[in-house]
Amino acid sequence: MDFFLQLLFTGVGIGAVYALVALGFVLIFRATNVVNFAQGEFSMVAAFLMVVFAVDLGWPYWLAFAIAIAGMALLGAIFNLLVYYPLRNRSYLPVLISTIGAQIFLSNSVLALYGPQPQVLPGWFDTPGIQLGPVYLDSQYLLIIAVTLGLVAFQYWLFERTLLGKKLQATSQDKEMAALLGIPVAAMIMITFVYSAVLGGIAGILVAPVLFVSIQMGSAIALKAFAATIIGGFGDVAGAILGGFAIGIIETFGAAYISVPFKDAFAFLVLILFLAVRPQGIFGERVAEKA
Amino acid sequence: MALLEIADLSVNYGEIEALRGVSLTINEGAVVALLGSNGAGKSTTLRAISGLIAPRAGRILFDGKPIAGLGPRAIVKLGVAHVPEGRRVFPGLSVRENIMLGASNGAASSAAIRREADAMFDLFPDIRPFADKLGWTLSGGQQQMVAVARGLMAKPRLLLLDEPSLGLAPVIVQAVFQIIGEIHQRGATVLLVEQNAHMALKVADWGYVLETGRLALGGDPATLWSDERIRDAYLGGANPAARHGRA
Amino acid sequence: MTIEGEALFLKVSGHPPSPTLPRKGGGGNVPAGLLAYALVAVVFVALAATVKTDDYVANILMQAATYAIAVFGLSIVLGLCGQINLAQAAFFALGAYAVGLGTADYRLPFWLCLAVGIAIALAAGALLGVSTLRLGGHYLAMVTISFQQILTVVLINAIGFTHGPDGVSSIGRPALFASGQAFLALAVAAFAISGYFVWRLPNTRLGRAMRAVRDNELAASAAGIDVFRTKVTAFALCAGLGGLGGGLFAGGFSYVSPDQFAFSDSIVLLTMALLGGVSSPIGSAIGTGLLILIPEWLRFLKSVPGLYLAIYGAAVILIVIFMPDGIWGFVGRLFRPRALAAPAPTEPLALRPAASGADVVLDVRGLAKYFGGLKAVDGVDFTVRRGEVHALIGPNGSGKTTTLNVVTGLYRATAGRIFVDGVDVTALPAHKRTSAGLARTFQNIRLFRSMTALENVVIGAEREGNTLVEAGHGALQSRARAALDFVGLGSRAHETVPSFSYGHQRLIEIARALAANPTVLLLDEPAAGLNSSEKKSLHDLLDRIAAEGLTILIIDHDMTLIAGVAEHLTVLNFGRRIADGETAEVLRQPDVVTAYLGAS
Repeated sequence: MDFFLQLLFTGVGIGAVYALVALGFVLIFRATNVVNFAQGEFSMVAAFLMVVFAVDLGWPYWLAFAIAIAGMALLGAIFNLLVYYPLRNRSYLPVLISTIGAQIFLSNSVLALYGPQPQVLPGWFDTPGIQLGPVYLDSQYLLIIAVTLGLVAFQYWLFERTLLGKKLQATSQDKEMAALLGIPVAAMIMITFVYSAVLGGIAGILVAPVLFVSIQMGSAIALKAFAATIIGGFGDVAGAILGGFAIGIIETFGAAYISVPFKDAFAFLVLILFLAVRPQGIFGERVAEKA
Repeated sequence: MALLEIADLSVNYGEIEALRGVSLTINEGAVVALLGSNGAGKSTTLRAISGLIAPRAGRILFDGKPIAGLGPRAIVKLGVAHVPEGRRVFPGLSVRENIMLGASNGAASSAAIRREADAMFDLFPDIRPFADKLGWTLSGGQQQMVAVARGLMAKPRLLLLDEPSLGLAPVIVQAVFQIIGEIHQRGATVLLVEQNAHMALKVADWGYVLETGRLALGGDPATLWSDERIRDAYLGGANPAARHGRA
Repeated sequence: MTIEGEALFLKVSGHPPSPTLPRKGGGGNVPAGLLAYALVAVVFVALAATVKTDDYVANILMQAATYAIAVFGLSIVLGLCGQINLAQAAFFALGAYAVGLGTADYRLPFWLCLAVGIAIALAAGALLGVSTLRLGGHYLAMVTISFQQILTVVLINAIGFTHGPDGVSSIGRPALFASGQAFLALAVAAFAISGYFVWRLPNTRLGRAMRAVRDNELAASAAGIDVFRTKVTAFALCAGLGGLGGGLFAGGFSYVSPDQFAFSDSIVLLTMALLGGVSSPIGSAIGTGLLILIPEWLRFLKSVPGLYLAIYGAAVILIVIFMPDGIWGFVGRLFRPRALAAPAPTEPLALRPAASGADVVLDVRGLAKYFGGLKAVDGVDFTVRRGEVHALIGPNGSGKTTTLNVVTGLYRATAGRIFVDGVDVTALPAHKRTSAGLARTFQNIRLFRSMTALENVVIGAEREGNTLVEAGHGALQSRARAALDFVGLGSRAHETVPSFSYGHQRLIEIARALAANPTVLLLDEPAAGLNSSEKKSLHDLLDRIAAEGLTILIIDHDMTLIAGVAEHLTVLNFGRRIADGETAEVLRQPDVVTAYLGAS
């Protein structure tokens, strides 16, 4: 039972990371109908920025964090302009391939600039954790869960309580109608990309002390996040978040009870199963069909 | 005094000629009906006015200013609101939110917009009970009212209504047209595109009839309705040659 | 409401890809082309077998030949059929490991292992293709990526079976081709043979079906093509070629390891396909060659890890934005082959609807179609008699287009039954209804834009159940040509669709339907978008079709046209039938007038 609770905590912790990345991914998809295969690289780049500023240059953590987030916002904007915007009127395939190209470019640029060695990013706290009864609560995991819940709350507030959030949603649901009302559609899309990049960046910075900071961390997280959005229902915001937690839990339990090396395969198996059996996910209404 | 003047408008979709040489005038405070059978070019006319499509030739003057070819955001800022065919209520947003977004062309505060949206329910009491329900749950008639209320939030000088009766049961159509009448009484200027000529001419001050992209008839409602050529425009005529009168 | 298929290449580049070279009719040209190709192939194989090169060059050629075979596979599934496959390296791996493990661990003969590898790859490809039944686009991409990732994980971790990260060495070769030189010649020969196959595929029935699915899935289905089976076949072929390439790769390099077959390698293969031009094997060869040679010329880039791939990634984006048809597509546009002169006229189009049977060819009973709460069609009955021109009319939103879509199988009926010539087709998918004798046109013209007028019509003629055509390319071509003559476009048979005006494109669509020799021809707003002289021509054409005895069901808003051609009208309003009878009489009925004009 103790073991079970410990696993649950870890699963929720890592699931929170997937949830954040999945959220950013779904927001972009809803606004632009683009499946962004480079979503994970936002996490990876942000983590490396932290390493550069906080570890290599030794600047204060909060300053490095601010710079990394600003950098992600900039990256999101550039991504919108260079990768999405020129292809916005074409079918899904060229855009999909373009984002794959962006993924390769980003991960290998970091490799070229920084080198292949995985890096270590220290956690935010000096105390490694708290013992709560039988369960050991790692402080970084606690931070991850807390920040994720905070961001989910922020997401809720933004979308449900602000006019800007309504405009963002309107743009996702019917671009032409939104334009007819005077909503600046291009600006809404830009905001979406910037926000998603920042979400991904925060996820990467949070999870970095738990894993190594490596070139591959982006794709590993991203593919799990995709699985999360499928399970939750493609295009559904709440679904993506819950799906992220679900994947984290499944993966952690799978690794513990079945087999560690194959744990990566589990997420994909679950993904394929969902696509085969219930492509609309748990919450999605539309069948996953796109000619 | 003419609020909207269209002169010799031609619009193409690719190589298909949708409108050819159409001219019409809308005076301030009038409700003008634009009639014709499906495919006549009525919706195309509205899309050209609101900026969704750029005309191939011709002039559109709003309050004396040329607007042909401007984008929808600029045109809605000038005071033209387009309630498109099919209502297009945002399905995932509530009725209140839909209506509030109608004021997106201005810079009012969120609180002020909320107050105006609440005031809008006085004009559309039937949808007040649904204020917090999501758009997709509403019936066609209710959605139509939401769409019109949303359009009015922009405080437009010219309201373009595209087929408000489409797909609605006759009883609901009555309710929708009653609202159009009330809007008219409040002094709004409306260009009403309709397939349902009878209902449209009942509320209109003036009417035009399009037929395959050209203007076929124009006149006051009573005269139009009694002109048998209007029947021909919808149901075909025995003698095609006689039908191409006005242009 | 209808599901919109996108013409992949129109959206990608704005231009259709270079048309497949039209072949002069009949089989006379085939042996000549084959002979020429075989000659060139033999020369290259001989060169490979005899010219001594150093190991470095030999390795490059080996890699190029085997990769190119895999890229040929992509040109089938992506270029020809328009489906995304991001797992080609996985299929390559299946072939490679079958040969590797089979010869090294189990000491089985090379040819057996290669065959097994290809078979496994084929099966895996077909399995992946099955997922297209419900998924397309992004979801399909994700399924393929998942498959690729799962395979990579298995290759690395199932150490007992696959040797894990150490890889498999001492891979065997066939006795006849044991030397490096001989094996290279084998690889080049395989490259040549598979290249020929891929070159010829577009003009076969299967190839045409794939291109139709790519260009317009809905129209392909309506023209009688089993879209699902076509996609599965495309996936299987792609995977099979991947397996072939992988098997030869294993034999050529004698060593394989999991890191050679990762997701990034699938991307490399995809980029090779895109760079060269995904719709032709020549493009595949060019792309493969360039992307193997360029890194060698720019070897200095590899000194900085990641720099080469970073440029790679940027190049992918640039190619997609600026050169979506690839190098060969770009070149092909410059040297577009002149359209062949029209073939000699053939016998006039025979339209012999199934002569047997009852008076009633189409019987629709109690048809209903609900979209959630919306009752688009709410209990509609009508019958169409043999030889009649029957119109289905009603104001906008009355349900006529939905009715047509349910009858032809685009939508499944919520309730009711549809009988074609006495056969209950209610549960049949669209392509099977075409086999049963329905043929239709679409309001928003759904032609296969990358193909010529003739190819479009041939696809119509090819429908299963067309008794007027014997198998054989010649017969199909003549029938298609006859159909084009009937609509007046015979002299332009070899031009591609975009070169025709909108009105003429509509005529091609009608010719495509006529070539199928249908029992009932269903026309969805054929007059939409036509100017008045085009409408007159359409009216004449419909009269001529009716004069042949063909049964027509037509939807349109142009009442002049309807009154002119239709004998019998069924009027719908709010999803229900409000009138049915002889044309002139129905148009006078007060209910009908009210439906259109509003109450008076």
